[in-house]
Amino acid sequence: MKLSTRDITLSGMFAALMAIGANITSFIVIGSVPITLTTFFSILAGLLLGSRLGAISMTVYALVGLAGAPVFSQFSGGLSALVSPTFGFIISYILVAYVVGKIVEWNASNHWFIIAALVGFVINYTFGTNWLYVAYKYLASTDAISYNVAWAWMAAPLPKDIILSTFAGILAPRLYKSINKNATIATDNSVA
Amino acid sequence: MSNSFIIGQYVPGDSFIHRLDPRTKIAIIFTFVIVVFLANSVASYGLLTAFSIGSALLTRIKLSYIAKGLTPVWFLIVFTFILHLIVTKDGEVLFQIASYPIYSGAIIQGAAISLRFFLLILVTSLLTLTTTPIEITDAIETLLGPLKKIKFPVHELALMMSISLRFIPTLMQETEKISKAQASRGVDFKTGPIRDRVQAVVPLLVPLFVSAFKRAEELAMAMEARGYQGGEGRTKLRELKIEGRDLFVISLFLLIIIGLVMTRA
Repeated sequence: MKLSTRDITLSGMFAALMAIGANITSFIVIGSVPITLTTFFSILAGLLLGSRLGAISMTVYALVGLAGAPVFSQFSGGLSALVSPTFGFIISYILVAYVVGKIVEWNASNHWFIIAALVGFVINYTFGTNWLYVAYKYLASTDAISYNVAWAWMAAPLPKDIILSTFAGILAPRLYKSINKNATIATDNSVA
Repeated sequence: MSNSFIIGQYVPGDSFIHRLDPRTKIAIIFTFVIVVFLANSVASYGLLTAFSIGSALLTRIKLSYIAKGLTPVWFLIVFTFILHLIVTKDGEVLFQIASYPIYSGAIIQGAAISLRFFLLILVTSLLTLTTTPIEITDAIETLLGPLKKIKFPVHELALMMSISLRFIPTLMQETEKISKAQASRGVDFKTGPIRDRVQAVVPLLVPLFVSAFKRAEELAMAMEARGYQGGEGRTKLRELKIEGRDLFVISLFLLIIIGLVMTRA
């Protein structure tokens, strides 16, 4: 895999952006509960950076968190995140960025941006919840928590994330235009 | 706040554990995460507990501070224990809570699983308590070194981690600045229906993304202007070195694994 200097700085920077997105409610108050924009940002990683760099930047984000920087939601981080059942969501961002990127590399029209974002959201939830179920079953060595209970657990933030994912699909072309106008980004790795 | 991002959970110190090579620590902890599942007898659990508590004490970090870091998982540990009390039906009935029988096997199994959970979290958090993210990044670069043979961008990955660690505080300040600037222009993040508040995020995100991409661009240019051309033949500011104490700890840990296999039921 050949990475240019620009690829390296862009991926590193996007991983830093992701860390901001995970805890954005500590800067601005949107509603009363602390929400995290990680799904939203991982979709944007795929839409703005493309499949390859998007997936790389999400890998960097996961590694930086495991190395101890408090970049995961609620300022958590550290290697112990690895044995937490919710770690699957962090892994899923890599897959989300990759698939979302692939879709818009194939078709970059505005409504495909929204479809790609929703596909990303579905991957995020399916992968994360299945991981949650399997990891907890294994860690706690019991199958008392059924598959349906695991999904019921995830139902609460579901509507919020559907709205945010759609919003990511709508916002991405606009972001892309503003970025291009203000900074000269090499277009060979980016989409749209 | 922004300082905590660079050092992460690291607690500065000069203990034996602090001075170990980060690669030794990573290798031992990853092995520990795997072998902890081998324990199935009182003696084997005892051995692992002694190792974990011993290491925690050796860090000379206040135990109350370590325990504070474990707060988010207490719930999970207790929940797992209670779950086992309810669903496991081994051994004899010890007593009844509201006519619900509690079995002796349930308490034993619940305690063992919760202990295992606790040990996993404790030992993994010891790494990040005694090692800075930068050191861990260096260690990852050397540990993954062999993957270069299959064209895996190890050096680049480590560099990206450093870049992202370096720019998280900068982007945080930027976010604060932008949100204040937009608030002074009348953007309202705090009130109104949800739809308006989501809309209000746009004037925050657009400048944030533009500035982050611009920074990435400038950084790439600055690096190339200084002759950066990838990992080949680059020297390092901090060299990692395996010393006597690392070999000692590794041998000790191997002995523990052998002991663990022998004390299994």
